[in-house]
Amino acid sequence: MLLELRAFIAAAGVAVGGAAQAQWWLEVPAGNIPRTASGAIDVAAPAPRAADGHPDLSGVWEPIKTYSRDLAEDLVTPREIPYQPWAKALVDDRADGSQARDDPPAQCLPQGVPRLGGAPAPWKIVQTPALTVVIYEAFNLWRQVFTDGRRLAPDVNPTWLGYSSGRWDGDTLVVETRGFNGKSWLDQVGNPSTEQLRVVERYRRPDFGHLEIEITIDDPGAYTAPWTVQQRANLLVDTDLLEFACNENNRDLQHLPGGD
Amino acid sequence: MNTNSLAALLCGAALAAAAPALAHHSFAAQYDANKPITLTGKVTKVEWTNPHIYIFADVKDEKSGEVVNWAFEMGGPNALIRRGWTRNSLKPDDVVTFEGSLARDGSRLVNARSLVMTESGKRMFAGSSEGDEPPASTPQ
Repeated sequence: MLLELRAFIAAAGVAVGGAAQAQWWLEVPAGNIPRTASGAIDVAAPAPRAADGHPDLSGVWEPIKTYSRDLAEDLVTPREIPYQPWAKALVDDRADGSQARDDPPAQCLPQGVPRLGGAPAPWKIVQTPALTVVIYEAFNLWRQVFTDGRRLAPDVNPTWLGYSSGRWDGDTLVVETRGFNGKSWLDQVGNPSTEQLRVVERYRRPDFGHLEIEITIDDPGAYTAPWTVQQRANLLVDTDLLEFACNENNRDLQHLPGGD
Repeated sequence: MNTNSLAALLCGAALAAAAPALAHHSFAAQYDANKPITLTGKVTKVEWTNPHIYIFADVKDEKSGEVVNWAFEMGGPNALIRRGWTRNSLKPDDVVTFEGSLARDGSRLVNARSLVMTESGKRMFAGSSEGDEPPASTPQ
């Protein structure tokens, strides 16, 4: 009977994410979630505040679009991505998908920043006074954003996700990340990055249920000027992150064009 | 759950648009959206894994009668779990009609958008890799 019920619900296209998750974690304590009279989450309620007075960005968030496909979809400034000639030529080469196998996430390698936050899989912000951790369902990855005033050394070991520090600008958390290995495609379109990449993310929580993130790509190795995009995410309250072991059964690679 | 509770659940929950699977690789590079295909087969194997669930099914060619095993790629388990699937939702010997897009490289591989269980007639979302649809979160 339960199987038929689940099949029926799935067939009706109803989102039962909450019910599915509750199956595994029982007696989950109710959080401080503002509700409307009807019992729905009051997404327009004020954003919660941490003990230090800053907005609390903690929660499970889901981007409203698959920004990982095209980072420039909501380009704010300038009007077009200011490519260097070699970068433009490379993007044009990648446009027909002929190099799809070379895209690191196709091989289950990390998506890089900010692409990691643009995947459809949700991510969770855990904010504490000196450190904010972001856990990503995508490939089970994580980032640490240090907010204790530390500075990054000029020369660091290059990585996929960089080294992040943050500071508050009013109610906006400004996160700076550098120390990238230059291997990431900023999106599936194939916008390139180099080791000179520096990413600035400005996180705002205008109300309980929404996150706005303004992202600036500053990579003089590939672009003639910084460029800025706007992203949004919705709060998910009835689900939590699930494991994503990408290498478990990556059958697609053999079907993708490109490679050596 | 009695029918009254079920009715309440269906009325209360917002209808969610189909959610894309984790778009960790380009759909267009692997599949041709201009080659839609519908195949009915008997499930032989379910690989309930990341990054994509793979369903293998024996498909009988209408004309020749030859039975050939096809592979159907779906979304990852997480996307489907949030839609009510479990690893037991589909089992060997289930007869299923898959709708999706054919692989570009000529292999017997389909990216499934949705599927219909023949016995029950139930249509189930398959978590297509196409990143065209909005995410799962209830629109607010």
